[in-house]
Amino acid sequence: MSIYLLQVINGIGIGMLYFLLAVGLSIVFGLLRFVNFAHGAFYLLGAYFCFQMMRWGLSFWLALAVVPLVVGALGWLTEKLVLRHVYAKAHEFHILVTVGLALVIQELVILQWGPLGENVPVPDMLQGVVMWGGFVYPKYRLFVIGFTAVLALGLWYVLEGTRLGSAVRAGSESTEMVSLLGIDVFRIFSLVFALGAATAAIAGVLAAPMRGAEPFMGIEALGVAFVVVVVGGMGSFSGALIGGLLIGVVQSVMSTVWAEGARLMIYVAMAAVLLLRPHGLLGRKG
Amino acid sequence: MNTAMTTKTTTPLRRHFHLLLALAVVLAMPLTMQSGSLASEVLIYGLAAMGCNLLLGHTGLLSFGQGIFFGLGSYTIALTLTRWPLPMPLALALAIGMGALGAALVGWVAIRQRGTYFVMLTLAFAQMFYFIAYSMPGLTGGDNGLMDIPRPSLAVGKVTLWPLASPWQYYGFVAMVFLVAFWLLQRVSASIFGRTLLAVRDNEERAGAIGYDLRLLKLQAFVISGAVTGLAGALHAMMTGIAPLANAEYHTSEMILVMTVIGGTGNLLASLLGSAFYLLVGDWLSTLWPRWLLILGVVLMVVSLGLQRGLWGLGESAWNRLTGRRRAGDDAASQGGRA
Amino acid sequence: MHRRQLLQLSALGALSASLGMNRDAWAQASGAIQFGCPVPMSGAFAANGKFADLGMKLAIEQYGTALNRPLAYTLLDTEGKPATAVRKVQEASQQQGTRFFAGGILSSESLAMGKEAEKAGGIFITTAGADEITGKDCNASTFRWSVPTFGAIEQTVRPLIDAHPKAKRWYTITPQYVFGDGLLSAAKNIFKEKGLEHVGNSYHSLTEKEFSGYLTNAMAAKPDVLLLLNFGSQSSDALRQAVSFGMNKNMIVLVAWASGLEQFESLGADLCEGVYFGAQYWHATQAPLNLELVKRSNDKFKSNPNYSLAGSYICTKLLIDGIVKAGTAEPKAVVAALEGMKYAGLTGDEEIRKGDHQVLKNYYLLKGKAKAKMANKDDYVEVVSSGKSFLPLDQTGCKLA
Repeated sequence: MSIYLLQVINGIGIGMLYFLLAVGLSIVFGLLRFVNFAHGAFYLLGAYFCFQMMRWGLSFWLALAVVPLVVGALGWLTEKLVLRHVYAKAHEFHILVTVGLALVIQELVILQWGPLGENVPVPDMLQGVVMWGGFVYPKYRLFVIGFTAVLALGLWYVLEGTRLGSAVRAGSESTEMVSLLGIDVFRIFSLVFALGAATAAIAGVLAAPMRGAEPFMGIEALGVAFVVVVVGGMGSFSGALIGGLLIGVVQSVMSTVWAEGARLMIYVAMAAVLLLRPHGLLGRKG
Repeated sequence: MNTAMTTKTTTPLRRHFHLLLALAVVLAMPLTMQSGSLASEVLIYGLAAMGCNLLLGHTGLLSFGQGIFFGLGSYTIALTLTRWPLPMPLALALAIGMGALGAALVGWVAIRQRGTYFVMLTLAFAQMFYFIAYSMPGLTGGDNGLMDIPRPSLAVGKVTLWPLASPWQYYGFVAMVFLVAFWLLQRVSASIFGRTLLAVRDNEERAGAIGYDLRLLKLQAFVISGAVTGLAGALHAMMTGIAPLANAEYHTSEMILVMTVIGGTGNLLASLLGSAFYLLVGDWLSTLWPRWLLILGVVLMVVSLGLQRGLWGLGESAWNRLTGRRRAGDDAASQGGRA
Repeated sequence: MHRRQLLQLSALGALSASLGMNRDAWAQASGAIQFGCPVPMSGAFAANGKFADLGMKLAIEQYGTALNRPLAYTLLDTEGKPATAVRKVQEASQQQGTRFFAGGILSSESLAMGKEAEKAGGIFITTAGADEITGKDCNASTFRWSVPTFGAIEQTVRPLIDAHPKAKRWYTITPQYVFGDGLLSAAKNIFKEKGLEHVGNSYHSLTEKEFSGYLTNAMAAKPDVLLLLNFGSQSSDALRQAVSFGMNKNMIVLVAWASGLEQFESLGADLCEGVYFGAQYWHATQAPLNLELVKRSNDKFKSNPNYSLAGSYICTKLLIDGIVKAGTAEPKAVVAALEGMKYAGLTGDEEIRKGDHQVLKNYYLLKGKAKAKMANKDDYVEVVSSGKSFLPLDQTGCKLA
């Protein structure tokens, strides 16, 4: 199999994880109109909670089910207790309060688990590789692709097919309108923020067996999430998907073509999109 | 709507008072502190925070790109003192110029967007600059950075006017530069240009409708901010003798931003308070508890949630309550400044 | 108005400047000999810093006094940033009169601190890896205990070739900066000499976490050996991902610059099995000083010493021994006492080479054991070989004449 095809497939694998990382950030921005700098911190918590649960002897699958709920609840609390007070303020303070929160969470993680990275083992049934012709790929990464695809479908259904989803989409256009129609916009805010945190946590749980749990993984994840959201379009679900896949494939293919420049290209792409098509490839105006 | 940024226009009396306060701080540090390096660092980052304040407090622009200008200043002074030697005052001027130039480039591009998109753009540029600096080790020393930066004494011909070798001697020099820069920034802030920036911050549409060239104003603010930050970077490089890659990192931009916000965006001197707080408390706490950044995060959240006028505002309220005075004149002024 | 303001300002400025000129640092003239431990306690390398602190503490407490003066030390958090490191070294030498520094985990901060120590008239001994520290950026105040890139590659690649003579095709993954390039060029020299095929190299940035692209590239080149030239969490991530792709089953994997026990602990025995690691130190070495250290570490901390702790311990110990040998705490005399000093170290006999202040010591090639074969919880590897390889003085680029 051509090396480029292999890299594209690998890129899709990376890209699905990036999508999962970015979609929460994107939806939160769409509705709440601010960039959550603590998004990476929820990803971090997801990975570490998963590690802790497995250390207690519980299974990875249980962690995958429980951890997003726990982190989602934390996100819900954060929105209610902290963020609600800054909505009326200038957007700079939205950003700054979440920067502070990210710092607090990161230091708490180090306090609890120490500064050394930890290994999270791949669940037994997903160990090993799949071989097909010249193609070798870890079973676990295939699982991540499949699982994220299912999750994406689920999210899409929620956004397009349920009343909550309609409220979220309408709220992204105009929160005033939605509340005039009698819907409690603030409750939707909390739910959406919780959903954003939960998806970040799932991404963290899925990433942990691939990259270990390490206190500074949140910062790197945030950087990637930003790029994907900007390229795909802030507030757009499909944009996060396309953006994630695109960035993942570019990164993977670049490691064959121009390894050193891979990271640089990503930020150049981000800047280019911000300048030429600021609402992203699939973002809406407004 | 925009209730947060509270930079007020200042009266000449208030400005002189602030200048005297700045002088008092500059004089107090050698008397109360033992480390000339730490004292210099407080002033240097105070300058950087003021540059950031000009964008944030005055113009309402949240920039994550200050590290770019700081880094440019460091690299420039490193190159002009080691590889292509120039007399120090000229090297310093060139560093200021590079900071301004970098800011002009970044600003010109970034201003095309507003609000959150602007913030993201500065972030993207900061990352790009970091990777460019990392990828050009011939020019920037890559990960090692540039080293062996000398600290030439101020001299005219062969006559040494002012040796800068020891940390406190260098502090004296930094203090001089700081006071001059502070005074100049005060004049900028108080000028018509400065007040126009405030108008832009408070209500951009209105300012544009009145006929101000928003792009040009913002660009000018960027250039001044870049110049001041480049100066800070150059002074820092001379103090430590190195121009490391870390100066261009996201963390530097974040640190400068945090200092600015914690100090308070109400006036320029508050930025010095912010840098002093961050560095002195950080220095002291880091020997006691390695996780002191946790406290910093909490302070940042508290400031963003309730204490928008930062530590300066806290000090002011405490002072007012102590002296039982209410400055009615200020309230009237700040009412008049908003749409 | 303007002119008057300007005049006032310059007068006030001159006043403050003269204060600065008169106010010079005063050294603390008390009895204790002050040591500084400049290591990252926050930031990405905080784990190393934590153990380095313990190492110095162990040494200082063991000796207690030298030349009838008590020993004291301060922890200086460099945050992993060179500028902060330099500033804290400056401060420590001004505020406490500290002249003896042992630390520096990252190369960038160590290079900067070495220069600052020279300016401050102190001594700085480090375990950082960059060749320049005892190469082109060497100076009279800086010493280094760890083996630089040349020795690390010589003592891992060569023995591996001897053990696996059929392994002809090598693929390298290298972090793109001076240190990585140092490892890579040393490796390429051996490849050329032994007629091996260097089938490819992937550079990556220092913040990279996703190695699957590079590994896919590597697999396509069908190498016999995968040589990982990165370090710290990047080597852990690369190894973890390589194992997930099953590469440890198809080829030999060598991590040339591993951290030792702390890295094995964070990876776990399953990931380490069958993988070759190059290390500066291994706690199971039978050298007498090491046996002592292991005992002390277990008594005080209930754990075996890892590389960060051991490195910091021996660096501090060297400084103290140097002071005792010189009979004075005056840095220049201590430097002279340290130069050429031969002693029984943690890796066997060690010597501080006079010409570049590099400690000549063993570097180890280790191989991961199966979990079932581990005799105790720290028995992750067996020692395959060890030895000393160093560039001759005239090739290091150090001019300490």
